Amino acid sequence: MSDYIVEMRHITKRFPGIVANDDVSIQIKKGEIYALLGENGAGKSTLMSMLFGMYEPDEGEIYIRGEKVQISSPNHATKLNIGMVHQHFKLVQNYTIAENIIMGMEPIKKTLGLFPTVDIKKANEDIRALSQKYGLEVEPTDLIENINVSTQQRVEILKMLYREAEILIFDEPTAVLTPQEIEFLLNIIRGLRDNGKTIILITHKLEEIKQVADRCAILNRGKLIDVLDVKSTTTKNMANLMVGREVSFTVDKKEPHFGKEILKVEDLTVKNRDNFEVVKHVSFSVHAGEVFAIAGVAGNGQVEVADAIAGLADAAGGKIMLNGVDITQYSIRKRTMEGISYIPEDRQNYGLVMDFTLSENLGLKEYYKEPFSRKGILNKKEFDAYADKLIEKYDIRSGQGKKTVVRSMSGGNQQKAIIAREIELDSPLMIFVQPTRGLDIGAIENIHRQIIGERDKGKAVLLISLELDEIMNCADTIGVIYNGEIQKIADAKTLTTNEVGEFMMGVKQHG
Amino acid sequence: MADKMEKNTKKKSNVFRHIVTATLGNPKTQGIAIPIFTILIALIVGAVIMAAVGSNPFQAYYNLLQGCGLAPKESYATYRSMLTDFMNFLSYLTPMIFAALAVAVALRAGLFNIGVSGQMLAAGFTATILVGYSPLPAVLSKPLVILIGLVAGALVGGLIGFLKYRFNINEVVSSIMLNYILQYVCSFLINTYFVDPISRQSKAINPQARLTLVDTPVGNLKMDIPLGIILALIAVVLVRFLMEKTKMGYEMKAVGFSGSASRYAGINVGKNIVRTMLISGALSGLAGVTYYLGYFASIRPRTLADTGFDAIAVALLGNSNPVGIIFSSLLVTSIDKGSTYMSSASGVQAEVASVITGVILLFSACGAYVRYRVAKMKDAKEEQK
Repeated sequence: MSDYIVEMRHITKRFPGIVANDDVSIQIKKGEIYALLGENGAGKSTLMSMLFGMYEPDEGEIYIRGEKVQISSPNHATKLNIGMVHQHFKLVQNYTIAENIIMGMEPIKKTLGLFPTVDIKKANEDIRALSQKYGLEVEPTDLIENINVSTQQRVEILKMLYREAEILIFDEPTAVLTPQEIEFLLNIIRGLRDNGKTIILITHKLEEIKQVADRCAILNRGKLIDVLDVKSTTTKNMANLMVGREVSFTVDKKEPHFGKEILKVEDLTVKNRDNFEVVKHVSFSVHAGEVFAIAGVAGNGQVEVADAIAGLADAAGGKIMLNGVDITQYSIRKRTMEGISYIPEDRQNYGLVMDFTLSENLGLKEYYKEPFSRKGILNKKEFDAYADKLIEKYDIRSGQGKKTVVRSMSGGNQQKAIIAREIELDSPLMIFVQPTRGLDIGAIENIHRQIIGERDKGKAVLLISLELDEIMNCADTIGVIYNGEIQKIADAKTLTTNEVGEFMMGVKQHG
Repeated sequence: MADKMEKNTKKKSNVFRHIVTATLGNPKTQGIAIPIFTILIALIVGAVIMAAVGSNPFQAYYNLLQGCGLAPKESYATYRSMLTDFMNFLSYLTPMIFAALAVAVALRAGLFNIGVSGQMLAAGFTATILVGYSPLPAVLSKPLVILIGLVAGALVGGLIGFLKYRFNINEVVSSIMLNYILQYVCSFLINTYFVDPISRQSKAINPQARLTLVDTPVGNLKMDIPLGIILALIAVVLVRFLMEKTKMGYEMKAVGFSGSASRYAGINVGKNIVRTMLISGALSGLAGVTYYLGYFASIRPRTLADTGFDAIAVALLGNSNPVGIIFSSLLVTSIDKGSTYMSSASGVQAEVASVITGVILLFSACGAYVRYRVAKMKDAKEEQK
């Protein structure tokens, strides 16, 4: 009998063109919080997918409670008391919390002593008891579509607990949460550990690891670099090991030199499909050499502001001026040609055609122009040469280079491809929406440097982010949006993180 | 004991695995290997069915080939030979190629053109009444038939595209409805004005308007020469060029893969929907004229050509690839066309041929599943190394 509840020995997993895990061995003790840290494509999700039975390792062995196992499917993993909360929740929107949790293992009663039916009353009671035990605070009869993201996450956790999971894997659990919600979640995780559960936390947020984890395994390009005792190490040290070089947390930036006004938004109003005003009379302007950041809690209209400027959403009122030209009525294509680069929030549905190759995607904004096409005929050689150039310049990694279908690339490299394409357009205005969502610290550092670099080249940068750190790091000017209205516009140096946070919650009023 | 048995089955499955991964596992040749594999399975299933009915499957398959002029058979009439049968087969094949191209072009742009038959009828009917009965010389009437077919088909297809773009009407719904409308309007007009009282079909068109040269003496044979087949092969090349090499094709594919990303990139999605349906409709139109004014010379009222529906399956079997479509239409058409001779020569009912076609299409739809299984086997194999 081994001391470890989970042991993965000499695990190797290969995908076409890539070794995702290269001879990785980890040992996890019962009742500890074990963090897995690594950049995108470092292989942490792959490793855990094998523990959860979604892939089988090419080489190596897995031991659970000292016994050698071959985990062939997630169902099998569940039987071994392993549970996983995925980054994207898997919940039925129009079912209640309880119905979602019991799905697949419903408590049955015999109505009239004859007909087997789902005993929803018992389910509700069980779940209420379970949620109280772990401090998870949910109302079992609420519909999923009516509850917020952080409650949905708690439902996912309850789903694992209901299935009697002992080993709980969290895949980037805080990516979708606000600072307060993150605090709450970390407390829940601590509570689970104190109740004897074993937690595996996949993350690239060093702060969280420092706060909750006991030990931390660091992966880099598929290899295990080190396993650290979190208490006796610094976040700086962890970051350096993860990236494989020195990293700086704050972006070095020179004093900004504001040039002329590039973007001017006047009294902009945007309505959603239900004819509801999601952006209300917003005005601001962005100058050459300025990073203007819009801070706000998700869903307060910031994405719609960006969409309206880029032309993906119609302005219901107001004016958008680019370089003194009124572009409010221009088509999307015409706006791009006038000089807007747009890195959208949703890279998979908007930023990329996922089934096109990398080369085809890198030409997505310029394919209709010479030299990419002439008289309606594409020049594939030009596409490929351009792709090779960008792959080299922006270090875009993929299995088969320019011929790789983008769907098979990692999120970080997909984002690199979008940013490469948009920067190369050389537009006077660059819009970044959530540019680092789901990316690791190495990639984030790189993107922040690119944002500042564009600013220093004299571009006007509009940055929209839910990450307050990102905004405080990059912005020269901060505008805070709440409920579709701009609460405050101020020089970034005059605002503290706390103040911005208060404006974001609508606590502080215009001042 | 149980352990030993397990080992045994494992050994057996290893050999099977090895064969499967060696033949189907190479990602470069998979595009061809898997369809061939599924077709072989279908032919085996067909053979089992025929054996069950009590006939010799090899004989029957051979008869099938004989029936469409792909295998020699005894001369059954003067002026006839394997070559004349083959030319007749080509004449039947032509509309299928056009129709499958029409489906494939739409599919690449994410549209499902189930109205190919209606578009064929619209084109065939218009060309029949405008040119079919006129005394124009062949040099004028034949190009005119092609042109009218192209335009009439494109108009119907374009209308479907426009309804989707302007009113967001699903193209499947509008094409099915248009199929009905065209079918009954045409049959009303045929029955009222153009009916041949003996055949109960529309009156046969003048030979100079027909796209197949019927009973043309070549040597000591009299054969049907389908002019349309040349046009069909040109269309294959053109469609391939359009999809792979042009700006238009790039936009159409982008729209087909992701409407939202296309819009983000500044591509006019609505314009591309209409344009795709215009092209798809034009190809259907060509299918229509080579069918009603080529292989046939008249229109039977109140029916739609099966070709338009079979073409969906043919396009899928050919992976929506223009070159693949040549092979898949050859296969499906040869079974269809050869079945008459097969049933008379070997006593297998013609319906069995339809069953085989059905089985082939069913198996070809499983291509993705076969690919998945092969990938899994490959994984398992590597694991054991």
